[in-house]
Amino acid sequence: MPGSLHMSRLRNWFLSSPPAEYAITSLKELLIGALQQGPVPQHVAFVMDGNRRFARSHGIETVEGHNLGFEALARILEVCYKSGVKVVTIYAFSIENFKRSKFEVDALMEMAKVKLSQMAQHGDLLDRYGAKVRVLGRLDMLKPDVLEAVNKAVDMTSRNGDRVLNICFPYTSRDEITSAIRDTVDDYSTPIQQDHSTTAASRNRFSESHIAHNIRAQTLGSTTLESHSDSESTSGSSGQDDDAYPRQDYADRVYGSMSSCSSSTTLHLGNQQDPKGSPPRTGADSPVYISPETISRQTLNDHMLTKGTPPLDILIRTSGVERLSDFMLWQTHENTEIVFLNVMWPEFDLWHFLPVMLGWQRRISKSRQDPNAEGNFAGDAKSNEEGPDATLWRQGGKVKDI
Amino acid sequence: MVSQRDREILRDDLRARGTKLSVEERESLLKTYLPDPAELGKKPAPTASERRKTRKTPIRTFLKSQTHYLTYAFTHIIFGIVVRLLQAYHAVVDRILAVVYHHHRTPELIRKDVKNLKRLPQHLSTILTLRKEDDALAVLMDEVAELAAWSSCAGIPQLSIYEKSGVLKSCIPALHQIITTKLASYYGTPSHQPILQLYAPHHPVHRSAPIPKNTDTTTRPPTLTILLLSSTDGRETLVDLTKTLAEMSQNGKLSPEDITPELVDAEISEITTLPLSMDPTLADTVLKPEPDLLLVFGPFLKLDGYPPWQLRLTEMYCTGGRSHGIIGDGEAVEYQGYMRGLWHFAGAQMRFGR
Repeated sequence: MPGSLHMSRLRNWFLSSPPAEYAITSLKELLIGALQQGPVPQHVAFVMDGNRRFARSHGIETVEGHNLGFEALARILEVCYKSGVKVVTIYAFSIENFKRSKFEVDALMEMAKVKLSQMAQHGDLLDRYGAKVRVLGRLDMLKPDVLEAVNKAVDMTSRNGDRVLNICFPYTSRDEITSAIRDTVDDYSTPIQQDHSTTAASRNRFSESHIAHNIRAQTLGSTTLESHSDSESTSGSSGQDDDAYPRQDYADRVYGSMSSCSSSTTLHLGNQQDPKGSPPRTGADSPVYISPETISRQTLNDHMLTKGTPPLDILIRTSGVERLSDFMLWQTHENTEIVFLNVMWPEFDLWHFLPVMLGWQRRISKSRQDPNAEGNFAGDAKSNEEGPDATLWRQGGKVKDI
Repeated sequence: MVSQRDREILRDDLRARGTKLSVEERESLLKTYLPDPAELGKKPAPTASERRKTRKTPIRTFLKSQTHYLTYAFTHIIFGIVVRLLQAYHAVVDRILAVVYHHHRTPELIRKDVKNLKRLPQHLSTILTLRKEDDALAVLMDEVAELAAWSSCAGIPQLSIYEKSGVLKSCIPALHQIITTKLASYYGTPSHQPILQLYAPHHPVHRSAPIPKNTDTTTRPPTLTILLLSSTDGRETLVDLTKTLAEMSQNGKLSPEDITPELVDAEISEITTLPLSMDPTLADTVLKPEPDLLLVFGPFLKLDGYPPWQLRLTEMYCTGGRSHGIIGDGEAVEYQGYMRGLWHFAGAQMRFGR
């Protein structure tokens, strides 16, 4: 259309005039304030897709498209944090993206460096608003100068409070899951050695019957002990988990040594063997491990890069591509609402985000009102309370019945 | 919102790699857009003057919160009306499509519906939900049977069905019987029917008839492979893998550095392909572990515990996803929804009239 360019110029001129700008800003403020009144997702993830396509369709350089994308990110972060979202995770750079043209990769890296170092310059501002920046991914794949900027920004904000921005920098989800598995295996294959020598020494002084008694007491109590440590680990950080290990030490020692005798050890097995009165060979010379049976979903969760963050509530991917592309596979696969929007990332704004949020709020408040109808948000309960909607709903039902 | 003028200044600064503006300049530029820290709910030790300032305007704060609340209610009412209107519209469209595109249990008609599509998924995956009625299991099994029939008619050789509770896995023989009956109602005589193999991870393959070895592969009827998945094949499987790996590592059979994405991928894929590859006669029908298309028959796109590892590049389509995720009863498995998913996958749009 020939007129469209002219029209858009006219529109831009109008929109950038001070009164219009003021009106739009106040409207946005009002809507954000309104969003705060309902339930607010705790953790939102974005796949910032479409920068290149936007640049191509608008006849600007790819790098410029990425710059515009960054502006869109700043816009949406403002909306998210103001409306009460605690954690925002963004997919900034995939490990696969290293395969793109060197020019583009370098430009992206440069942009990240500039932005992160700029952020580091405003340390006191970040402190005041309590935003915490974390960079998730394979930091070892970054160039030293970028890595330095990353580390500086992360260090500066690490003490800050409750708002978190997770930047997935060179990241793929499969890599993350694999690393989590590897780290877990690493943890579990480190023999419990820390205070081994001291306990072993003190234990030698006890009589055998005392040890047997002790073991019996421990294994009987280990069911409760384990559930206790489980509940503790669900409460969040891996730091707490680490604290739990020394306390579990003794029980695990028994497990560990038993797993060296019989390959499959469970709690019940331990209880069965114990009353026979023969304490299992503790094998002081062979290394003692934590039993792998204690690995749970929570263990893996705590080894993911997103540990300590609330579960993902909404994942938004722009540009109309309808797949996850190796992003947050582990995190999304349970209760996350996945939304694909047919809009390029640089255009993404509150107006696209608002319907998603409203839909989510609506569903959450419905399921809270009627927890039994989880997953089946039937119209009956809600049609009673909403007069005009109810008739519409019935019409819809009639149409369906045809 | 950042005003046009300030935006230009910041853009120029970025183009110059952040050298144009000094730290102070940038900060003063930003200051006007920063919210009052007191409003963020998190007050890092407010000074006395700040406290006084927030207390000074109780009426204004009250009015503000009331306005916000009103706006919240108002937007939700508007949003609700819009959603219902859209629902009504889509319900009408759906019904028309359902009339226009009806399969009439004829493989030829289904084949015609997918004939013009640029691509078809090799491996289609669906998420079904067990409803709460008494005959829920029977309904679910019938849905699986329908999906199997449509897929085999459309020429999709691999189908995986995810149902969270895993109830389907406990009745594989019965399900096999039901699917065979359904296929018979579509294809007629058994000789035209595809060879059906149904299995679940850690379960043996259940097959309609042994594949005749002597026949040529060209004359052999096509096979339809159905895999049943449940939530235990998701995170739980990864946990199991970690347990095994940890045990191996403790026994010194493996070092943690050996764990690569390739290894995990091989192990995870094996779980879904192993029962098939154990049978030498089926060597050519190995399941593709990553589905091409995931159809979610539900009100909105939620994975609900679907195995995460395999979903890396899977396209997703939600049949109820066109009305901002709020639709009445759990989405029924319907032919036009299924077709819409396939058309969407091929990048095509469904129209009225075949």
